Amino acid sequence: MPQRVAIVGIGQTRHTSRRPDVNDGELINEAVSAALADAQLTMKDIETVIIGNMEFFEGHHLNDAMLVDYTGARGKSGFKMNTGGTVGTMNVISGWYNVASGLFDTCLVIGWEKHDEAPTTSCITTITDPAIDRPYAVGALSGLAIISMNYMTRTGCKVEHAAMVRAQASENASRNPNAHVRDRLSVEDILKARMVVYPLNLYFLCPTSVGACATVLASEVKANKITKKPVWIKDHVTVHSDYSGALFTFPGETRETSHMVAGRKLFQRNHITKPIREIQVFEMYDPCAFVQMSWLEDFGICGEGEGWRLVEKGVTAREGEFPVCPSGGVLCTNAIGDSGTLRVAEAALQIRGDAGEHQVTRDVKTALASGYGGSYWTDLLLLSKTLD
Amino acid sequence: MQQKTTDELITQEMLLKIPYRWAAGEYVGEFLRELRHSGRIYANKCPKCGRFRCPPAPVCSRCHTRMEEREKWVEVGPRGTLLAFFVAEQSFLVPTTGDMLEIPFSVGVIWPDGAPVALWHKLEETNPDKIKVGMRVEAVFKPEEQRQANIFDILYFKTV
Repeated sequence: MPQRVAIVGIGQTRHTSRRPDVNDGELINEAVSAALADAQLTMKDIETVIIGNMEFFEGHHLNDAMLVDYTGARGKSGFKMNTGGTVGTMNVISGWYNVASGLFDTCLVIGWEKHDEAPTTSCITTITDPAIDRPYAVGALSGLAIISMNYMTRTGCKVEHAAMVRAQASENASRNPNAHVRDRLSVEDILKARMVVYPLNLYFLCPTSVGACATVLASEVKANKITKKPVWIKDHVTVHSDYSGALFTFPGETRETSHMVAGRKLFQRNHITKPIREIQVFEMYDPCAFVQMSWLEDFGICGEGEGWRLVEKGVTAREGEFPVCPSGGVLCTNAIGDSGTLRVAEAALQIRGDAGEHQVTRDVKTALASGYGGSYWTDLLLLSKTLD
Repeated sequence: MQQKTTDELITQEMLLKIPYRWAAGEYVGEFLRELRHSGRIYANKCPKCGRFRCPPAPVCSRCHTRMEEREKWVEVGPRGTLLAFFVAEQSFLVPTTGDMLEIPFSVGVIWPDGAPVALWHKLEETNPDKIKVGMRVEAVFKPEEQRQANIFDILYFKTV
């Protein structure tokens, strides 16, 4: 039996487009200090450290050693993660493996990115197959545009629905002091924005941010000593897809994306039959307004073609029956290596009731957090207020 | 002498310019040789689940089965149906060339006639109002003597 693992400390930096006032280590240290303070621990209490980002954004590749002064990892166990878009959630999942295995009782998890150091789209273009796809890649935007167009073609979703998603995200972000783009935007504002990659305009896409997020994980025995409000990582899944055809489906073909497999597996083995009723909040990795709707369907929260209808009905709003990204989500804040860690952290804050102005109105017992990346894989975590 | 100021934020600028040479490999290599030599696009099939891959792949990711060998590869295209597309209307620094992208730049996901596979390639048409999902397109190759066994041996797909 694995040890049970709880999140016992959460810290994040404010998020913004540029932080020329700090270097990579100083940025990370802000989140580390905040997470330790939240857990009322010091580095002496931490046994192992996991750190992750997408290294090509900063252009150096020795983060685990180079940043050790700021992470506190000197003399401790741990390693770095680098799994593309999912790195933030993989940081937490790796921390879980470390503690669940029984090898360690406490683990510091750090996700970070400093997108002000290099052009994001140029860097992301290098994730693609150099022989075949790279000449036609526009960073992450090409894939997101294709998913969006395929979603509209399959389900009848309109651009107005994507604008509703973004308007709701901006309303949520305006309540979150750590979010990056906090302007309240109307559906009209959003529809008027300039086109970046048709059919995606500026507001249908996430920003490029600077920020870091750290969490402290602890085993059951330690967690109950550290805090009165542990948030349990009840379960998690990671599902890979293949490179070809991961983004869309042929007419007549049965869809099978990594999100679909992940949702099915996680809900089945946790006996969740109606996720929309049994889960109270979902911090989804949603880098584009259309994908939030498409992925609600893929994860099995609703049926095919119902994603945009849920948004239309207000179900996914902060006060709705199934709030999605009450923090404002990736649509308003995206420092990639931090984004997935932040999804888990924000979902945990909702369970603790510590999300402040962006706390959802329902009592949160169970929450979901997801990660997704150009590696075409999905991470999905189920968090819980109680152990059973 | 440079004056020392207390509020100045110092950044260090640097350009990484690194040449790479990737092996295309047995399957993609043969796919690219055929583009150059015969101007034909090939796909191959998993004998177990029937799924096709283009460029041909050695192993089916679903079945972990060896895909059909060279003699059974099937020709697809040059005509096909457009499944989805995007048009980049904002430029960015293309890391493979070091140049800014020429915009508008449109890319289609093409279903070539002959097998259910998805081929991403440049579209000649860049006006999104004139590009429709479901429309017919056709690969336009470079003249044979100019081909270099890379994906650019297909110049683009034109509307037919």
